[in-house]
Amino acid sequence: MEVKVLFFGVLSEISGTSVKHYRDVKSISDLKLRIYDDFPEIVHYNYRISINSEITDNDLLLKSGDEVAFMPPFAGG
Amino acid sequence: MGTNYLTAGPVSQKLISQLIKKMGSKTNSGGHSIFFGQVRADEIDGKKVKAIEYSAYEELVNAEAEMIKRTILSEFSDVKSIDIIHSTGVVKAGEISLLVFVSAGHRHQAMQACSETVELIKDNLPVWKKEIFEDDSFKWK
Repeated sequence: MEVKVLFFGVLSEISGTSVKHYRDVKSISDLKLRIYDDFPEIVHYNYRISINSEITDNDLLLKSGDEVAFMPPFAGG
Repeated sequence: MGTNYLTAGPVSQKLISQLIKKMGSKTNSGGHSIFFGQVRADEIDGKKVKAIEYSAYEELVNAEAEMIKRTILSEFSDVKSIDIIHSTGVVKAGEISLLVFVSAGHRHQAMQACSETVELIKDNLPVWKKEIFEDDSFKWK
């Protein structure tokens, strides 16, 4: 299985990309560990997560094809 | 992915005049309230902001903007319509990056709902900005 991860705002600069694919991640917490391994600096930032364009604070299970976004605090206007 | 809420670059005078033109057909409205957000040439650590580069999560912008409109319409019974346009990409100091246009039967709800829509946009719209300084260095906000 594979999920698509989107990085926004300052997180896209830290990761050096706006999109990255991860294989064999079971849950949000699993994915976070993989991302912290790849980009340790991200752990210092506040962010919210959405799965398939729905914001969630829960550690949900992931399925193949899910789109998971890592979003720093919004700054529109 | 198309969106009704985002525009590339500054909110143009053409877009603004289209919305103003549309006012005349809203004969159930007695008041329109318009908010323009403009890029400010702030000075930070001795450097002047020349532009802001906006980025957005388009799919989520659509969902959140729809939610904001539903929230406002349920709270203000006199509001007839709400338009929201936010920029993506580079917007120079002095240019418009956000337009909120609220039409209502009467002035009080038009003004209150416009103000509350702007606050909800600030809190809920998945948009990010990078301040670009005159020396081309930048800072995420």
